[in-house]
Amino acid sequence: MTTELSAREPLAAGPVAVERLTTEPTLQEAPSLLRDLVPLARAGDDAAREELANRSGRAAYGLALQLLRNRAEAQDVAQDALLKFFSTLDRFDESRPVLPWIFRIVRNRAIDVLRRGNVRRGPSLDTGAPDGSAIDPVDPATGPHEHSVRLDLQKRIWQCLQAVTPQHREILILRDYQDLSYREISEVLGTPLGTVMSRLHSARKKLREQLLEGGWVFGGDHD
Amino acid sequence: MTEKTHVAEFNEELLSGYLDGALVQQDEQRVRVHLEGSAEARELLRQLVEIREAAIETKFPENRDYQWSEAPRGAASSISRRLGFLLFGAWTVALIGYSLWQMARSDEPLFAKLLVAGVVSGAALLLLSAVIDRLKVAKDDPYRGVEK
Repeated sequence: MTTELSAREPLAAGPVAVERLTTEPTLQEAPSLLRDLVPLARAGDDAAREELANRSGRAAYGLALQLLRNRAEAQDVAQDALLKFFSTLDRFDESRPVLPWIFRIVRNRAIDVLRRGNVRRGPSLDTGAPDGSAIDPVDPATGPHEHSVRLDLQKRIWQCLQAVTPQHREILILRDYQDLSYREISEVLGTPLGTVMSRLHSARKKLREQLLEGGWVFGGDHD
Repeated sequence: MTEKTHVAEFNEELLSGYLDGALVQQDEQRVRVHLEGSAEARELLRQLVEIREAAIETKFPENRDYQWSEAPRGAASSISRRLGFLLFGAWTVALIGYSLWQMARSDEPLFAKLLVAGVVSGAALLLLSAVIDRLKVAKDDPYRGVEK
């Protein structure tokens, strides 16, 4: 197989354009900026350190929350990851992207927490939002009906993620929630690049099976 | 070539690569050809796209109260902190050593000398156990492999 995997594939390079609906620029959309902050932070620029901490900290917390589904544990893990990152900043290879490196620390720490089985029971994501729902997709381009169907699917996907193996769950989160490229995923997971696509496809099929078993009708009428 | 043969030769994982725009032109072309001849593959791809679109648009509530409990330190504060610990440790050891030496040379009764020696020995053992624990943790640090 002659699959070439670029460091940053365009999201809409495939047959179907998948557009992000968030208006705020994301870390993934400005990776060079994050990397540019590293030498400044190393040189003792406090403003750069603070900016680096804020941006990478938010990303670390987001991933930790998705992996652990517990706010308190996610905060601890993100905090650990950030401190680990800054304590080894001098050894960081500036030619590499920052996020996969931090995500790898987050992922390893989250695995430790899950292995110890000490994830505390806390407010679940399903009660975190003001309206009682955990996920609140913003979709101004669609009407109320489409919005409701999409929200329903998002909730079902999030629930079904719990039914797949941890290995499948983490790769789905990294690709379909964090939008990392295949190369970045291979760096985070420490797996060969060639393994990413096969594992991701297997995970997607398992997730699809779970959705179908749960009664979801793809492209169907959801009245 | 029949559709059945076509399906048997096709590596289905390429569908995910195609969906993610991660294939070289040759593989992308293979997928296109396969999709033209396989309704099943088209349906699978459509469903995977639906899942990905929904997942990537999912927004999670932010924790607005979140704050780092310890701000990352700058180079200057980091160096001064290390120097501070080094000086403090060295002077503490020197001070305790000097005090013990003076105590041993003094005319105090043996009972008093033993009392002081017991307290200092206890503190030293506690410190030693803490150092051993820290070294053990550092040895088993799961993040050593992360620091590439």
